Amino acid sequence: MRKVAIVGGGATRAGKREATWRDLVQEAGKQMFESVANLSPKDVDALVVGAAQPERFVFQAHVAPMVAECLGIVPKKVIARTELMCASGQVAIRYAWACIASGMVDLAVAFGVEKMFMPDMAEAQTNMTCVLDREWDGINGLSAPPFFAMTAQRHMLEYGTTKEQMARVSVKNHHYSSMNPLAQFQKEITVEDVFKSPVVAPPLNLFDCSGITDGAAGIVLVPAEDAEKYTDTPMYIIGGGQANVGNAINNLASLTEWVPLKMAVDETLKTAKITLDDVDIAELHDCFTISEIMEYEAFGWCKKGEGGKFVEDGEPYIGGKVAVNPRGGLLGCGHPLGATAILQAIDIFQQFRGEVPKGRLVDGAEIAVAHNLSGPANVHSIVAYSRSLR
Amino acid sequence: MNEVKNEKIKRQETIKLPYMLDFYPLEDEKNTRISSFFENLKQGRLTTTKCKKCGKLLWPPRIVCPSCLSNELEWVDLGSEGELYAFTEMKLGAPLGFVQDLPFCIGIVKIGGLYLSARIDDATYGDLKIAMKVRLKIIKLDDGRVFYRFMPSS
Repeated sequence: MRKVAIVGGGATRAGKREATWRDLVQEAGKQMFESVANLSPKDVDALVVGAAQPERFVFQAHVAPMVAECLGIVPKKVIARTELMCASGQVAIRYAWACIASGMVDLAVAFGVEKMFMPDMAEAQTNMTCVLDREWDGINGLSAPPFFAMTAQRHMLEYGTTKEQMARVSVKNHHYSSMNPLAQFQKEITVEDVFKSPVVAPPLNLFDCSGITDGAAGIVLVPAEDAEKYTDTPMYIIGGGQANVGNAINNLASLTEWVPLKMAVDETLKTAKITLDDVDIAELHDCFTISEIMEYEAFGWCKKGEGGKFVEDGEPYIGGKVAVNPRGGLLGCGHPLGATAILQAIDIFQQFRGEVPKGRLVDGAEIAVAHNLSGPANVHSIVAYSRSLR
Repeated sequence: MNEVKNEKIKRQETIKLPYMLDFYPLEDEKNTRISSFFENLKQGRLTTTKCKKCGKLLWPPRIVCPSCLSNELEWVDLGSEGELYAFTEMKLGAPLGFVQDLPFCIGIVKIGGLYLSARIDDATYGDLKIAMKVRLKIIKLDDGRVFYRFMPSS
């Protein structure tokens, strides 16, 4: 297996954008290509496009060639679209990584895009209700907010987690997103603001939930030995893990313990040859505040059931045990499904290069993990990145 | 210079709700090999498949056992009373077709050894408690298709 480097990346601002799906693709593509010296779209051998639901949101299938056409890419070895709902972008990264590691491809673009705002938002909510098993779970109106609401309810019951502890996750991530010019939400919020925001599905209020978001992003991957042709400060992929247990509600391993996440964490640490203490930055999938709390636990930064206390004690802030979501997370930056993992990767890349604002810079960071969950938290996907070749 | 012709055309404003957008599956034997589930439900029986070879209880109902690949499955009753494992109330963000129901309760019900997600009817959020007993309720669409929900037992 060849070692793989990321040498550049670019993105749109996330949010409610006055732009079409293909406008977003072009904006992000221009940023991406302009971020890499000595690179022409014609050099790209492989294009992998993470896109969760373009068929529903913009009524368009066969989208990878549309991205290629918009960006002037003429893929000669691999062209594909990846879908794993909220982790679609990470799967694009994983496939591009595998293509280069295997020796099949020498230059790949992993791209992600989602246009989620629609004139009638009930139509957008309909799309989000076919993510769980539509005939047995979606049919009950079970989209992500009620699913994670029930997860939170059980976690509160079994471990004493409080609404205030959950709100603190949102406060932290909005603090960091207030310093991120690409973020959907660039204002600090308080615990009180979370409590006052409308109830979506109790115990979750609006600010416990990540947004509906338009956005696109892309990164450029090459074999590690070619990286210096493009930049003096690349970032390396050093490992990763991915696991899935069940799909319908009845077949999940547990509501309050994310077994597949623990499996993915073990695989990541093993393949990257790192320990948890080596991780300086963790971009965790905070689709809901309860998610981030359960992720502290499953990664092992705190004991099972103590995720609420972990955030209450300030441990996931920069300077604490591990910097969690110094980008601003999905809660602060928005969650343009297919683009989210690419946005995480770009921010880690900029962290390693010291290119993010001082208030959210993890000084001297060497190792980062980026995590996405998808569906009813039955699939967990992780990539580990490093500043240095290891 | 030739004048460019302008013509108004109509956007079709109403369409029949497409089958793949109304959330309810096609239930009859022409469309599914688990039509017995829905036939049983019409008789007031909540059932699922059980593998005759390895004994595994399967949900959702299957035609092949994912544990041993046997296709010798039998229909078994799950009973009509369960226990509420978790619940919430959908207040915002319902999909098309459910918007008129807002707010509505959703729960996870322990019944017959399974955990089923379900609408919890005939109750407000404040009426519900974890571990309370809930009983089976059957809803019927105009076209005859059926589905299960639950409601508080008392």
